[in-house]
Amino acid sequence: MATSAVSFGALVTLEELVPSSPQFTQGASLRVTGKLQEYDIETAIASIVEGNASLKIDTQHLKVNLRIGSLYQFIGELLIDPSNQAILRARVGRNVDGMDLNLYHQSLQLLRDFQAEQMNSTTS
Amino acid sequence: MDALYNTHVKLLAFDFLKLTPSPTEPSSFFRRGKRLSRAETVGIVVTRDLKPGKFVKFTIDDGSGCISCVLWLNQLNSSYFSRRNPSDVRLIAQAATDFASDLQLGVLARVRGRITDYRGALQISVSDVVVERDPNMQILHWLDCMRLARQCYD
Repeated sequence: MATSAVSFGALVTLEELVPSSPQFTQGASLRVTGKLQEYDIETAIASIVEGNASLKIDTQHLKVNLRIGSLYQFIGELLIDPSNQAILRARVGRNVDGMDLNLYHQSLQLLRDFQAEQMNSTTS
Repeated sequence: MDALYNTHVKLLAFDFLKLTPSPTEPSSFFRRGKRLSRAETVGIVVTRDLKPGKFVKFTIDDGSGCISCVLWLNQLNSSYFSRRNPSDVRLIAQAATDFASDLQLGVLARVRGRITDYRGALQISVSDVVVERDPNMQILHWLDCMRLARQCYD
């Protein structure tokens, strides 16, 4: 059957998003989560961190109140410049303060295992 | 075989999108040989197209795929509802209008409804919407879907 026109944001952690990873591709639709570290109101460029990794987020299309130190989730497309610097052009963003990040990371792995298992088994 | 037919089956989007329509019954869809008619999803609203008095079409992204949804808003001028008690129809219409205003871009929504096939694409014709305030509900929905698939649906 035909699928939805909009691309889903593949779940990825910031620490996984390195140039050698399959998700690190021009235009990839991703869902990322991290703590807001910086936000420039002039450029609407934010920076989120997760562990030792960070990512710039272009928030110009969003209507979200951003607070330094809060946890956010963004869905959008990855843009990579010639020097291999990445920025996510966000389509959607939301505050996820209160989300259990350990549970999130564990569930993400379970979800990937489940999808692989379902893909490999017989379909209807 | 039909125990799940009238249940709102909790499916991850990638699983929902693999359902196959019944060749004989337009309201039935098959997942691994089991007949389904209703589904429940939880995810972020990533598109929203409102036609006041007609419908709101929106897309739910649950991290495994996107599900198209339609919420009808035409109850007050639809011939389908003209045979029903007008006060009931007004309540249904008001609930639908309230759901439509809750469905804003970026919210985490739990959506239930009938599985339908619109021009060859699967969608949910929505009957209920709950906007989830707790971001952990997305994670719990993933875990529910995986557990139910393994223990009940497969």
